[in-house]
Amino acid sequence: MTLKKFAVTFALGSMALLTAGATVSTAQSHVNSPDPLLGTPSVATETSNIDGITGHAESGKHLYRRFCIGCHGPDGNGQGMNAQWIDPKPRDFTEATFKCRSTPTGTLPTDEDLYNAITRGFVTTNMPSWRPLNPQQRADLVAFIKTWSPRWAKEKPGASLNIPPETAITIESILHGRELFQKLECWKCHGPEGHADGPSASTLTDSKGNPILPFNFSTGERFMCGDSNRDLYRIFMTGLDGSPMPSFADVIQPNDAWDLVHFLRTLQVALPNQELTLWQTYKAAHGKDLKPIGPDSAGGAQ
Amino acid sequence: MRMKFFAALALTVAMGSALMVFATPPPAGSGSITGKVTYTGTPMKMKPIDMSKEPSCAKQHATPITTENVATGPGNTLQWVVVYISAGDEGTTTASQGVRYDQKGCQYLPHVLTMLAGQQLQIYNDDQTSHNIHPLAKVNQEWNKSQPPGSPPIDTKWDKPEFIAVKCNIHPWMHGYFAVLKTSHVSITGEDGTFDIKGLSPGKYTVTAWQEQYGTKTQDVTVGAGAATANFVFTATPY
Amino acid sequence: MPTKFREGANPMNIKWSRWKTILTCAFLVLAIVLCDARAASALPAGKVIALPMFARKYGLPCSACHTAWPELNNFGQVFRDNGYQLMNDRDSPIWQNPSYFPISFRITPSWHRETTTNQQVDSVPGNGLGDGIGTLTQAGFDLSGMDLWSGGTLYKNISFILLPSSDPTAVWHFESAFIRFDNLWHSPWLNVKFGRFELDNLISEKRFLFLSANGGLYQIYHFDNPGSSNNFGYGDNQIGVELAGHSANSYTRYSVSVLSSNEGGVNFTTDVVPGGTPSNRSYDVNLAFSQAFNAPGTPGESGFGLERVGAFAYIGQRPTNYETELGTQLVGINNKPFFRIGFAGDLSYKNLELMPLFIYGHDNPYLGAGVPSTAPLPPGAQAPTFYGGFLEAHYYFNPQNVALARFEQINVGQQAFTNTSFGGSNGNITAVSFGYRWYPIMFSRAGVALDGEFSRVRTIGQEPESGNGTGVVGNPTGAVWSNSIYFGIDFDF
Repeated sequence: MTLKKFAVTFALGSMALLTAGATVSTAQSHVNSPDPLLGTPSVATETSNIDGITGHAESGKHLYRRFCIGCHGPDGNGQGMNAQWIDPKPRDFTEATFKCRSTPTGTLPTDEDLYNAITRGFVTTNMPSWRPLNPQQRADLVAFIKTWSPRWAKEKPGASLNIPPETAITIESILHGRELFQKLECWKCHGPEGHADGPSASTLTDSKGNPILPFNFSTGERFMCGDSNRDLYRIFMTGLDGSPMPSFADVIQPNDAWDLVHFLRTLQVALPNQELTLWQTYKAAHGKDLKPIGPDSAGGAQ
Repeated sequence: MRMKFFAALALTVAMGSALMVFATPPPAGSGSITGKVTYTGTPMKMKPIDMSKEPSCAKQHATPITTENVATGPGNTLQWVVVYISAGDEGTTTASQGVRYDQKGCQYLPHVLTMLAGQQLQIYNDDQTSHNIHPLAKVNQEWNKSQPPGSPPIDTKWDKPEFIAVKCNIHPWMHGYFAVLKTSHVSITGEDGTFDIKGLSPGKYTVTAWQEQYGTKTQDVTVGAGAATANFVFTATPY
Repeated sequence: MPTKFREGANPMNIKWSRWKTILTCAFLVLAIVLCDARAASALPAGKVIALPMFARKYGLPCSACHTAWPELNNFGQVFRDNGYQLMNDRDSPIWQNPSYFPISFRITPSWHRETTTNQQVDSVPGNGLGDGIGTLTQAGFDLSGMDLWSGGTLYKNISFILLPSSDPTAVWHFESAFIRFDNLWHSPWLNVKFGRFELDNLISEKRFLFLSANGGLYQIYHFDNPGSSNNFGYGDNQIGVELAGHSANSYTRYSVSVLSSNEGGVNFTTDVVPGGTPSNRSYDVNLAFSQAFNAPGTPGESGFGLERVGAFAYIGQRPTNYETELGTQLVGINNKPFFRIGFAGDLSYKNLELMPLFIYGHDNPYLGAGVPSTAPLPPGAQAPTFYGGFLEAHYYFNPQNVALARFEQINVGQQAFTNTSFGGSNGNITAVSFGYRWYPIMFSRAGVALDGEFSRVRTIGQEPESGNGTGVVGNPTGAVWSNSIYFGIDFDF
């Protein structure tokens, strides 16, 4: 054989080697060698339903491997290889505890809650907005995520919070919201002006024991669970499970809740909004009449 | 002849009754397991709690209360140890009454509350300040609710057995436990470290003692008609 | 198809000798034995992924943004369109640990073999006469050039790329260097880029998966009619300013660029390394638009995937003469126009991706005539035109394994002169490529890909675009066949 023929065959063979090897390795990986991402047995059957789109966990598994595994990990427990460098930590799907829901505290979120979380992402964290994935792909991912915890097989999601129409944005509403902020002692964590400097702020830990700060309204950052007034309403009514933020659904009436929403917007001094404008005009005229938020002279909450 | 017959009959009846008396198990509830829970080694020091950030609670304690995760008593005893039957006759598994958990003086009372899975639990806020109840359940579902002063008690229950740590995020020193069990045969040690599980039928049982810091210890106990003894010794560490 | 093509590298060829068949089969068996899946899975599999500096910054796997790096998927396209930002209020560099530095590099050592037929050679080596026609074969280990990327954000909504790039001999130039003002007036539809950059091509030559001499370029992106003085390449980076915009999920995209007519050259020359000819003072315009939509698929099943189609047009000018001083060229003058228009697609069917492209090119007759536009056209001069395109296919077994194939055909429409002695098909190109990329590791810190390719190009009467060969065609009426066999290990950090 000539050197030329040998070289040609060698090169062809290398390519064949690559092709065959990789093909075989991937084929085998579907059969009996450890898939980097096994998931659980319910992968074959779990589905999700969002707005008429049915998601399938089997398709979601391949998407998870491409997009999610680096942070959320091959076991779905938030221990991906990048998790050690990330704060806040990626969600542990095996616990089925989720922050951004429309359902009562302690209940599973709806498929739509999970879909919205994936679509919106979580600003200020490493969880991107996955809107560039098409709706079918996001629905498939929701279905796959549900396979990580046995709770989804045994419990139904909670009933979505019924949000009444928003009340008018008036100074009375804001003032009442301010009273609620004082009475419900939100300032103990969030601080009297929402600077996350309340007396308990520095001691907060999430449910896994990691230090966590309360939301700082004054920086103008958007909320993680959405940035509309409706989203804000939902945040404190359902609570953010897995974090120190409790649910106030049992202690606030729906209309009062809108008042609190309007007041909270006035704390977002770096994010121009309608409530803030109203409030600043009011404060210019009546600021000195306002009782400061914080511990009252009796040494306790009103 | 008739006399003999009746005598034999009477004897048989008598013997039969006697046999029946002995063959039937003694009435339930006559046996019990008692004992003491102690430790060896050096336990963690309990520290006084600074409640100055919550004046309305601080003034309820003339001297500051201490942390309770390793509560000891004289004679190296351990308090707040939950001793329960983990195998064997489980007793009643449903409860007709509820149990009560209080937040008073920014402290959970009792520190450890036992209940049956599915039993009604009512949580009261007796303080002038808001608390948020945050049971860190892992087997059951975790939840977190705000409870301002003057609000009605929170009504809830736990479906599965689990030792659930309870905390208040606003007042980080508050720690407590729900010991949700599937048996009603349970007893918690007091300061003297003693426990008494009553109402047991004779038989073989496995008894488990749980202490929040040091984990569990298990023993097999055979119960007769009276009291059986089982003592538990935990190895205490300073940290 | 010519028999030569069929014989050349075809294991199915009955003319192959037995030893050749046996050896090839042996390699395949060896492959199956060696590439045991257990060994593959002992590597940290499933942790795979392209610009590692972005993966490091955000903690995402490479596969999040890339179908198979360096090719982007739609999520990566949105990230790029947003100015290398996830828009999570943490994009600005102030949020990074100061030890994070946005630098990545990429280089590919390889073994490859090039053969080119119909080349002018010395019939007797060393006789210096150039009197023979022969086949030039070169083979051995080699290096690629190196890319030393820096890019990301300078501030929220101000992004940049700085890409010094070298050829294999370490001659450096600036491949890309630009600053971009993103999301002007908070709108994703207004972004302004300024500097030297790649045109907004739907099918990007800078982010494709081929590396060999003959396969590692889109022939049609660099095609100019034989004899035309036009040096335009649609795949070349240009220098100027671009206004671009996109919808929130980048399903709709547009761009308008105004560029110097100097092929992205610097120092007012037409090249990025010293020695280029002087540029002129005119400007070119590039327009591009694309629209994507979801193909729904069969009911009850996951969809086919994202389909994208686009159209583009490049209108430019090139000089036909120069201002001179003592014969030294100073500035290009007497410009004449040319244009390229076309459409392209990026279509998906589950794991299969198809990329078709069609271009029509038209140069002014003066650009083909070789005389200044102030002089009359020589007899027979006409507007050089060409048309053609390619169809490229990728099959993704999973994020770490992709098979590649491409077929390309370019026909000259009108030669520069009607009375050419070389025939109407002079310059026509037919090209076919096959390849495979396997990414054994894909960390968010670094990446490796094993790349194997085979490419075969036929050019009628002209040297291949790859630059293979001696530089002079032996028989200008005949075909020049150029083959590349390539195996490289492509790594980046």
